[in-house]
Amino acid sequence: MARTAMAQETICALRRKIARIEGTMPERLAAPGEGESLVLRRYGRPEGTAGRPSLSAETGSPRLDAALGGGILQAALTEVIGRETRDSGIVSGFSLALAAIAARAGAASTEGARPVLWVATADILAEAGFPYAPGVEQFFGLTPDRLLLVRANRLEDALWAAEEAAGLGCFSATFLELRGNPARLDLTATRRLHHRAREAGQPVFLIRHSSEPEPTAATTRLLVFPASSSLRKTLAEPLPRSIGPPAFAVTLARSRTGKTGTFTLEWNPHDFVFQERWPTGERGSAFKSSREAQDTGGLAAASFDRPDPAPPARGGLAAARKERRAG
Amino acid sequence: MHPRIEIIEADPDADRRLLESLADWCDRFTPLVALNGADGLFLDINGCAHLFGGEDAMLEEIVRRLTHQGFDARAALASTPGMAWAAARYYEGGDRSVPAGEEEHALAPLPLAALRLEEKTRFGLESVGLRHVGALLGAPRAPLARRFGSMLIARLDQALGMTEEVISPRLPVAPLSVERQLAEPIGTREDIERLILILARTLKEDLERSGEGARRLQLSLFRVDGAVMRIRVGTSRPLREPPLVARLFQERLTALENSLDAGYGFDLVRLSVAVAAPFVMQQADFSGHASEEEEALSLLADRICARLGNGAILAPALAESHVPERRARFAPIEEEARARPTGTTEPLPTAEARPIRLLEKPEPVTASAEVPEGPPLSFRWRRALYRVARAEGPERITSEWWNEDPPAPTRDYFRVEDMAGRRYWLYREGLYGEAAAPRWFLHGIFP
Repeated sequence: MARTAMAQETICALRRKIARIEGTMPERLAAPGEGESLVLRRYGRPEGTAGRPSLSAETGSPRLDAALGGGILQAALTEVIGRETRDSGIVSGFSLALAAIAARAGAASTEGARPVLWVATADILAEAGFPYAPGVEQFFGLTPDRLLLVRANRLEDALWAAEEAAGLGCFSATFLELRGNPARLDLTATRRLHHRAREAGQPVFLIRHSSEPEPTAATTRLLVFPASSSLRKTLAEPLPRSIGPPAFAVTLARSRTGKTGTFTLEWNPHDFVFQERWPTGERGSAFKSSREAQDTGGLAAASFDRPDPAPPARGGLAAARKERRAG
Repeated sequence: MHPRIEIIEADPDADRRLLESLADWCDRFTPLVALNGADGLFLDINGCAHLFGGEDAMLEEIVRRLTHQGFDARAALASTPGMAWAAARYYEGGDRSVPAGEEEHALAPLPLAALRLEEKTRFGLESVGLRHVGALLGAPRAPLARRFGSMLIARLDQALGMTEEVISPRLPVAPLSVERQLAEPIGTREDIERLILILARTLKEDLERSGEGARRLQLSLFRVDGAVMRIRVGTSRPLREPPLVARLFQERLTALENSLDAGYGFDLVRLSVAVAAPFVMQQADFSGHASEEEEALSLLADRICARLGNGAILAPALAESHVPERRARFAPIEEEARARPTGTTEPLPTAEARPIRLLEKPEPVTASAEVPEGPPLSFRWRRALYRVARAEGPERITSEWWNEDPPAPTRDYFRVEDMAGRRYWLYREGLYGEAAAPRWFLHGIFP
């Protein structure tokens, strides 16, 4: 092998030349750790991207993207927390939505659709139910043949499986779903998950039901609460008493930029983007009836023009009402 | 009775277990071990004897080791099972082997019982003065068969090797296996893993020669004290690469950590291919992305199965049904792959929204509805009260009467949203006006 820097450079140049002639990627010809100018790709993704800024995928809500520093991180551990197990649909739905956004952004750079691995402990599957493939496809475009589920009886097994899958890089996303605040899922365990995600370049979502936020290595932590959906839109006017696209009340508790905030997001299952619901904005269309306004108020109506997070629950509702009255 | 005789109640089950564990132990000599009655074992040592330095040396070795374990064992070696059986039980003075061709000579002085005859036949023969096998050998066969049945002649022929007798091995015989005898027993996991790698390398050559790969592998660990441990791993695609094989067993050994008791160590380790399948050689494209990824995926699936147990990794199995729980359920990945060619994966058109989580079993809720056929006004699920703000439905799903007997009641599904914004999928089972009052269930959860 090349001993001197000179010889090494010659070899690199020759390799690039060969690759250009053959019309293939030069990266696969390179051995790992052979000079800074070469990138070893595994499954089409550069290896050892530890030092570089991670790619991010835009969620569709400019305010949330700004707070996240450009969007949801592609190669990182993202934590999604639900306070109660009965919110499991909302919490897992929100995580799936984030994964769909990440997959859509990833699909542009790499070919084909990769499967998704869902690792869950047996107790949460018993309590919150199994993912239901037809529904997952309807809302998040994830076809049943791309969904794999690992049921682990013990938390250690679930952690092991998630770690192995996260490092593999052949899944478009890995989910680890569990319940509560187990002691085993500490800073070290989550840091390992995060490192794997970063090296493989694929997102890992840690879904925690009936849990309290605690220090973990996740770069992004989101608390998800239920939010009333808007009415179904028809050509004429919103259909009364109907249930529109899924809505989430999200609190960004930790982000790469250090910003936090509260958002009410509505998922668009056709375009796979979020839309922020403006409590005072689109008064003309969806927020016509007073009944609807009451529904939105419940937990976390987002403030419109303030950079600081609106305090959740009552404060937000009062603010929304005040603004309504003023306007 | 003699005062020093110790009386112990007969325990046939325990005897059986002991015999089976002995048969397990005998696996180290040959994979073809069959149980014989309550107190015997057949070992088919065709092609194994040279490993132990010849037939006589092998016989000696077996008896010696059994004696060391505290058994009073008698053994004999012959070219037919019948002859070996007779020699082991009726020869005076020790264990011997009967050379091929000398069965007649060896059998002649033995009593009739050596022929494995029914008691009735034996008494009949003895009553006419035929007390030794030799007397039968000289007698004309046709009258013997007429009088004492064809079984007598069959047994005689079997012992003499004129008709083939097959012993049925207790365990399925692996098509391919490699083993290593160890002078120094090993006990640590690292040693076992290293040995697996060595054995797998030998196995690879054989698999390559036959153009096959392993679909199921078994590792047999023979402990010094006679206990045998068998560890199996399955693979989702034919496999022959030694590091991958070693890795699968590594996961399995990790999972077994506590239950694998090395005791004084293992002195024989055997790696066998229980199920083999043709290995399809595929040429990857130059970039090799797709196949690499697929391989990595199936290896991960195998490792998860090895560590977490079979059926830990699941995939949705779709069926053409409009009953939600039948439409898609999670099945172990290998089962799902088998079902796929027959079942259709064509998506059924469903305009109605489906939940993203489905409870394993619909959970009964107490609900009150405004109007009999209408959506619930409020319901109580897992002791919490939910007030319904909005509801969509009903979507009526009737039972599949061609599948069910008696048909399940009709379900009316409602999609509801409570005051806080949680969305659930509820259904009312049965119709108003029927004999049983309708009941409400919560079946799924929407995002």
